[in-house]
Amino acid sequence: MPVAIFSVFVVWPLISSFYYSFTDWNGFDPNYEFVGFENFSKIYKDRLFASAAINTVVWMAAAIVLPTGLGLFLALLIDSRVPGGAVFKSVFYLPICLSAVVVGQVWVWIYQPDWGLLNTTLSYFLSEKFNYAWLAKPESALFSVIAAWSWQQTGLSMVIYLAGLTAIPSDLTEVCELEGSSWWQKVRLVLLPLLAPATVVVIALSVINSLKGFDILFIMTEGGPFNSSDTLAMHMYNESFRKYYMGYGSAIAVVLFLVALTIVWLYFRQLKKVDEIYS
Amino acid sequence: MNVALRKLLVSSCIAPAIAVGASAAAGADNEVTISHYFTGELGLKILQENVAKFEADTGYTLKDSPIGHEDFKTDILVRAAGGGLPDVFSYWAGARTQFVADSGGLSPIGDMWAREGLDDVVAKAVADSATMYNGERYLVPFNYHYAGMFYNKQVLADAGVMELPTDWDGFLALCETLKSNGVAPIALGSKFRWPAQFWFDYLLLRTAGPEYRAALMDGSAAYDDAEVKEAMEIWRGLVENGYFLPNSNADTWTDASDKVARGDAAMTLMGTWITGYWNGLGLEPGVDYDYFPFPTMREGVANSVVGPIDGLVISSNVQNREGAEAFLAYMMSNADVQSHWTSNYGALSANVNVDSSVYNDVMQRVVGTVAEADTFAFNYDLATPPPVAEVGLSMFQRFMDSPADADAILGDAQVAAAEAFAN
Amino acid sequence: MKSIAEPAEAPGSERPFNPWPAVVFVCLTVLAALFLAPTFGVLMSSIKSKREIAFGQLWTMPTDLFLGNYADVLSNPAVHKYLLNTFLVTAPATAASISLGVLGGYVFAKLPFRGSNLLFLALVSGMFFPPQVILIPLYRLFNSMGLIDTLWPMIIVHTAMGIPICTLLMRNFFATVPNPLRECAIIEGANEWQILVLVALPLSLPALAVLATLQFTWIWNDFLWPLIFTQSDDKRTIMLGLVFMRGQYSVAWGIQGAMSLVASLPTLIVFLFFQRYFIKGMTMGAVKG
Repeated sequence: MPVAIFSVFVVWPLISSFYYSFTDWNGFDPNYEFVGFENFSKIYKDRLFASAAINTVVWMAAAIVLPTGLGLFLALLIDSRVPGGAVFKSVFYLPICLSAVVVGQVWVWIYQPDWGLLNTTLSYFLSEKFNYAWLAKPESALFSVIAAWSWQQTGLSMVIYLAGLTAIPSDLTEVCELEGSSWWQKVRLVLLPLLAPATVVVIALSVINSLKGFDILFIMTEGGPFNSSDTLAMHMYNESFRKYYMGYGSAIAVVLFLVALTIVWLYFRQLKKVDEIYS
Repeated sequence: MNVALRKLLVSSCIAPAIAVGASAAAGADNEVTISHYFTGELGLKILQENVAKFEADTGYTLKDSPIGHEDFKTDILVRAAGGGLPDVFSYWAGARTQFVADSGGLSPIGDMWAREGLDDVVAKAVADSATMYNGERYLVPFNYHYAGMFYNKQVLADAGVMELPTDWDGFLALCETLKSNGVAPIALGSKFRWPAQFWFDYLLLRTAGPEYRAALMDGSAAYDDAEVKEAMEIWRGLVENGYFLPNSNADTWTDASDKVARGDAAMTLMGTWITGYWNGLGLEPGVDYDYFPFPTMREGVANSVVGPIDGLVISSNVQNREGAEAFLAYMMSNADVQSHWTSNYGALSANVNVDSSVYNDVMQRVVGTVAEADTFAFNYDLATPPPVAEVGLSMFQRFMDSPADADAILGDAQVAAAEAFAN
Repeated sequence: MKSIAEPAEAPGSERPFNPWPAVVFVCLTVLAALFLAPTFGVLMSSIKSKREIAFGQLWTMPTDLFLGNYADVLSNPAVHKYLLNTFLVTAPATAASISLGVLGGYVFAKLPFRGSNLLFLALVSGMFFPPQVILIPLYRLFNSMGLIDTLWPMIIVHTAMGIPICTLLMRNFFATVPNPLRECAIIEGANEWQILVLVALPLSLPALAVLATLQFTWIWNDFLWPLIFTQSDDKRTIMLGLVFMRGQYSVAWGIQGAMSLVASLPTLIVFLFFQRYFIKGMTMGAVKG
């Protein structure tokens, strides 16, 4: 039954999206023509698609490193039975509760060149006026958005890692302390390997959310300046809903889906490896 | 949703080939559905007040569906694709309405137009440029805007400026005076690209003229032509002389307007909606701010004004045609509705019976400026087909980032625009 | 909070050298402050007037507390309706997606059949594509069912979209329920349904809490589906209300900030409520891959 519901409301729409990718449909006009693989060969030539694909890969790479690393770090700190742990947990989880629209807007205010929080702080420490326009420069726009997005994601990773940490038998860590190994040795040799299953979940969720990461990007830059922070999802939106190339947009969606399939396949291989560790 | 309407919706979807004239059954139904992008504090409240007036006067009930500007583009396309367009929706006159009309998404309103005598109500210049597509009438101009140079009066007074520029030399002199007084002359908020288009529009219209621009907009002229290069060259001169505040790509149009309101910059080239925004912040029209028309640049070039027109259209799968037509006619020809809507929204009415004394002092003079103009031109992203507009808007933003590369940017834009036109 | 830190340092001074708790505490406090900055920005925007924000005074301390935005939001009947609608979508969709995830997870974990691995792979890959891809087909589908402008499409789509993640987590959880337990129950004459309800489910309460929190938060904060599937104001959700504060030519920053904080309260409450189970839930199964 779950599979049936999923098929009707997700798989079937996906298939019709495949269908449109072979047409020149503009979204409005009920008359359209089959164009074969023309949309796919257009992808091959599309300069904006190439840069959006690179940005998506960068975002995914960052999604694997940033929220994961920071979440793990926070979880390790909180797990060391620090006073106020529950308060800290809630503080770091809070960002997930806020809507992407508002989060995006506040980060725009943080990056605002003249009176934004970041440049005001930097000016204070550098004791000279610092007014770099973080979101307006093609060099920094994408990374600035990724930083904001990571801020929102970190809490999720932290909570999952915290759970993973409590699952590790405390006698194992006590043995380490008795043997006089350093904190870093303990983390590297004992905790990290045992946290591997948690890492798989965290990375999967981060990658999913990075592929879907659209709302915050839309509010912060709309993929700009001049398409420099476009991701594939954003590019698909532009082609389908701003240029009315619905057929071409569908072709981009198909490519995106194939990429996702590949990732899932890799993810499953990873899962199998983890299972082997356990058995 | 009542059963009759639901049944109709169902049937219209089973046979998605859009069934005009299936509206007979809906005659008994007084409900008209409408979808529009007049959101935010200002738009929504004032529109609803006028909708209430329409309902009280005509006995129709309106099922209102407001959607934020950007999301509206997605929503209306999805509904068109799914055969579920509302009876009436708001749309931007010009190339976008052309696109929907070409795709068979609209119902012609010529009969209603004639029946209601709208020829005597709608200003001729607007009616000619905004309502006819492919030889049929499709749209009523609900309101229009005008783009001009809005400035902070105090800043100009502090710099000792007594006279507003009317020609290009005067404008350059003004910029120089302001700059030497330590004020940035011009603020531009091109973060979301479109505010930059007014500069391109006016520079091109004032040098190459409206006919050349129309050719560029329909693809018969090219972005690497000498005319476009010249306009960009002038723009580049302004940027390189330091007349624009730096980092324009970091600001939205409201950020730029705020900078003018604060006195960080003297003026900004923007549409009349800025008056609605500034009035909302507590600025006094004619006291704190004022405007002047974009200066003339060349003898013998027709005087154009630039701006967008918000239209109301009837969809091709309309369920309640009678009600939809009644709504369009009422909203357009009722002078009270038009006055109330436009004067509060910071817009202008194309209804000739609206007494311009309902507007504030600044807007009254804008009405005069528009009336004196030879042509009313749509701003860039409404003048050229949507896929091309995407190319151009990104080009303006790239230009503001590195004006020195203007020629290379135009070359790239021409390649991309030619491709978009070919599609 | 500083006072809590003192006793933490005290045991450190008894032993020869243990500055760790203090270092960790300071480190966390600094990070927490950094993390709170954006949230603080939302708070500031909600208590300032539009003019103050426009004039670049967002990050300065307010001279007087302006609560007009909250008054506007809380007294607005449309907002009450939005919140109610959001709840009416979120609660059933959360419950339904988890129930179906439980069924699916149990089948994939305990009753594998030919090709079940392949099916599972297909299901899970469904988590990865951006939802814009299926907007138009879904709109057509629901339009032909006459469900547009009701809450049903949102409930159904959120349920369907939630199935993969719920199935994945529940499968992994059920995989850790010892097989002998199940065999024992079978010997005692229980059917699969009874085993699921009487044996597996009680053990999986923590995992359910995990999913409840995640699903509730995601569904609550979504605005794409409500945007497409609703048309009249009295069917809209709170996230749409939030987005519609952005007009064509103006944005009501203050009201938007206030509304977003009000809107985030339910998800925060759900997190705090389930937190205890949450940690345990992740511990007992979800994480075990």
